[in-house]
Formats: sequence, C-alpha cells, structure tokens
Amino acid sequence: MLEIKEKSITISIDTSKCDTCETKACAAACKKYARGLLQIADGKPSVEHLGAEEVLRLGTECLACEIACKFEGNKALTIDVPITGLDAYQAKRGLQ
Amino acid sequence: MAKFLEYQGKEWLAKAGIPVPKGRPASSPEEAQQAAEWIGKSVAVKGQVQAGGRGKAGIVKLVKTPSEASAAAAEILSKIVKGLPVRQVLIEEKLAIKKEYYCSFVINNARDARCPMLMFSSEGGMDIESVPEELIFKMNIDPIFGLQIYDAIDFCASAGIPNKDLSKFASFLTKLAQVYKKYDCQTLEINPFVMTEDGNLICADCKMEIDNSSVSRHPEFDIKIARDLPGEVTELDMIGWSIEETDARGTGFLMNMGYDEVSPGYIGYHPIGGGSAMMGLDALNQVGLKPANYADTSGNPVGSKIYRVAKCVLSQPNIDGYLLGGFMMANQEQWHHANAIVKVLWEELPKKPGLPCILLLCGNREDESMEILRKGLAELMTPDGIGKRIEIYGKEHVTDTKFIGQRLLALAKEYRAEKDAQRK
Repeated sequence: MLEIKEKSITISIDTSKCDTCETKACAAACKKYARGLLQIADGKPSVEHLGAEEVLRLGTECLACEIACKFEGNKALTIDVPITGLDAYQAKRGLQ
Repeated sequence: MAKFLEYQGKEWLAKAGIPVPKGRPASSPEEAQQAAEWIGKSVAVKGQVQAGGRGKAGIVKLVKTPSEASAAAAEILSKIVKGLPVRQVLIEEKLAIKKEYYCSFVINNARDARCPMLMFSSEGGMDIESVPEELIFKMNIDPIFGLQIYDAIDFCASAGIPNKDLSKFASFLTKLAQVYKKYDCQTLEINPFVMTEDGNLICADCKMEIDNSSVSRHPEFDIKIARDLPGEVTELDMIGWSIEETDARGTGFLMNMGYDEVSPGYIGYHPIGGGSAMMGLDALNQVGLKPANYADTSGNPVGSKIYRVAKCVLSQPNIDGYLLGGFMMANQEQWHHANAIVKVLWEELPKKPGLPCILLLCGNREDESMEILRKGLAELMTPDGIGKRIEIYGKEHVTDTKFIGQRLLALAKEYRAEKDAQRK
C-alpha cells in the first residue's frame, strides 16, 4: 500500500492492483489536472522522484487521480479528506 | 464582521479606559437580582441580542429594586427578538442623563476616502435614522495618524458643542478613535453616549464589530468564528469555519441559513460565487423552495475544499434536494468541481437514495467537466439507481433560473412523495 500525504488529504494506493492496470489513468489525470506528482515506475504509481516537502508543496489536492482510477483504472486508489466535526454531525442525525 | 453584544463591547471599552456604566451580564432572574444588589441603586435591564430597536422591542426596562430587576429579567429572557432568543440581560446602573449624543466610527468606502470616518450628532438616542442629515456631522480620519485632538476640537465646535465642553468631547472622541484602531473595529457605534447631570461623558450603549480579517490578531477576543452570521453559531457553522480557518486556497464558505432540519422544502445549496448565489436563490424563491444553508466555492478552490463543502451541504438531514448552482460562466477551472462532486455523490447518495441533484456547471473547462460528471455518475443515474434524480446542465442554462428552479421543484416533489409512500 502506497500512502501519500498532501497538505490536508491522504492518498492510499493498493499498488498490488496496478500491475494489471492498462490505462495508468491516475498518472495521466495527475498530469492533466494537477502538476504531475504521480509518475509510473515499474508499472505502479509513485512519488519517489520527489521529496516529501516537494509533494506537500506541489500537491493541489485535485482528487482527479481517484476519479480516474475508479472509472478508468483498477479501483486501487482512495483519498481520505477529513472534515472536522462532520462525523459527529452525521452520527447525531443517523446518517452514517 | 465578528459582532460583540453590548456588554462585551462595553467590557472592551472599559479595559481601554473609556467610561461605561457599572454593570454586568446575567443569564437568569436570580443572577439579575444579584447584579442589581451589587450595583445598589436603580438599574437598567437590557436584553442582549444582535439587533437594533431593542427599546421598541420591549427588552430594555428601568427598575428601582433588585426584585424588580429579577422580574424584568424573567420577562426579557422569555422573548425572541427578530428571530433571536434573548439569552442574557445586562444589568447596569441607571444614569442621571442630562443629554444624549450619537457617535460612530465606520469605514468610508467612497473612492476619494477609503478610510475611517467619524459621525457625530447631538441628537443621539433612539431613532437616530430619523435625525435630519444636516444634524449628523462627519469627518474622515487619517488611517495612519488617527484622530488628532485639535481636529476633534474643530469638529466638535462645528457640530455645535459649547466652548466650555469642547476639550471634554474632543478627548472622549479621540480616545474612542484609538479604541477603534486598537481593536481593528469595522464599526464602533455609541448610541447614545450621554452627558450625566454631573457633566461626565459615558457610553450608555455600544455596538462593536470587528473586521473579520483581523480576528487572528486578537486572540484576547476569543472569537470562535470570524463571520457575519445571521443568528447563533450552529454546528454546521462550526464545521464550515473549520474548512476555511486554515486553508486559504480559494473560497470554501459554508454556513447555516436557519434550517430547522424538519420542515420540507429545504434544498442543500451549493452556489459558486456571490452573484451566482443570488441567481440560485432566485431559482429557489421562484418555486417556493428554501436554502438550508449558504455556501460558496469560488476563487478557484482546490478539489478537496470543494469536496468538503459539498459533503457538508449533502450531509444535512431531511433536505429535499441539492443544487450546485454555477449560474455564471466562471473563469475558474470547473473540472475540480466535477471531480469533487462525483466523489461526494458516490459517498452520500447511498444515504439519501433518489435525492434530487441539479448540477449546473458552466465556464472554463466546461466540456471536460461535463464529461467527468456524466462518466463518473452514469452508474448512479440509471432509472432505478440512487442517482436517478441527478440532472446535469451546462452553459445552455447558465442564467436560466426559472428552468433550474422548476426542474428542482418537480424532482423534489417526486422525491418527497416517494419518501412519504415509503413511510406508509
């Protein structure tokens, strides 16, 4: 599992699913909608060409890689976008 | 603006050395009685709400004894003024008033000014709005040097203050101007400030509003949300503030609009930009729908911020629909909205299957945005899918508030009927 932390979100990629992915849509989306943080290395998405600080600086939190992977790739990528207080708000209203 | 209640503003005035009546707030009749006993003479009992016209609303009473103060507080604390429940009263000494005056410090936005402005009238008290314009004296204040005593003396003389009182008034106004600057006020209105029978000037009321952008410089104020809220802070307001508080990457504004979480006809409202928001409200008003909240994701926010706002909007219980209102040809890249909305709807629609969702997204990168929405939501938008009431529109309906409102109303009626049938 590859975990990438941007300023306020965490991207998790189950890279075991990426070998069979033919589109590598996550990296293409990252290049199109953001700054191309995700690059393909050995058939898997990677940010190893960047330091952690560069990832924080360059990351635009555009969410495009998750959408691209979900609909064009192998559903290997999820993004956690925490919202302070929302879980409690929903729980009180039976919405979880 | 972050607004202080009267007693809070007076506390800050007192800390800055400005004379205010002896007093303290009370939240119950018992506390009111204790405060009146502490003051030890006739008192004023004043309801504390963010609303003008408190005297006319019957939440300001003069009483002679602590037991009368208790009774007056009980009556005032049971009232609702302009939709706001009165939760506190200010108990303060009754002043021996010789004359009432008005002064306020505001921002003069005029092109040739753009600086603080002092307004003063010797006709202070209730109904200041009805005082003739010629009796209200105005003076711009240099934002760097502030109000100088000699300028204040000239000003007071021109406003008709007698010579023997000029230095007293000038000193009073100069100190208030310093407070205005020190506390980064946007508005500081004292109506009235009074001259007592023994010749002292005292602030009998106080309306203090702090510039939202300066709140971070004033931790001493302990302001939780630096926003202009229509009422008391709600849970949604707190969540909305958490989205913006430390993230300046575009706007991600969210606040409650008096949504009661029970009544039908409320729509989770997600406009993009202020002008667009007004058109969206037109769309809702035209068909009798109401916004549950206000929101805004303009200024090219990042996808995560748009996602957070949309997720909160859609989390509101019992809404009859969701409107993404991009009623403008926005120049921000709309594909960030598209990606964020797809992610949110996949997460939230399972909790609200069939919720009407009108998605109007126009402007820069619109074609790509439409493709993201249509492709990303296609699996949900099947005739029996949880997204069966999602409708996606682009520039062909950019200003068409009537059409958007009517579509939302039709879908909301259908949704409400479906829910009612399920309950039976």
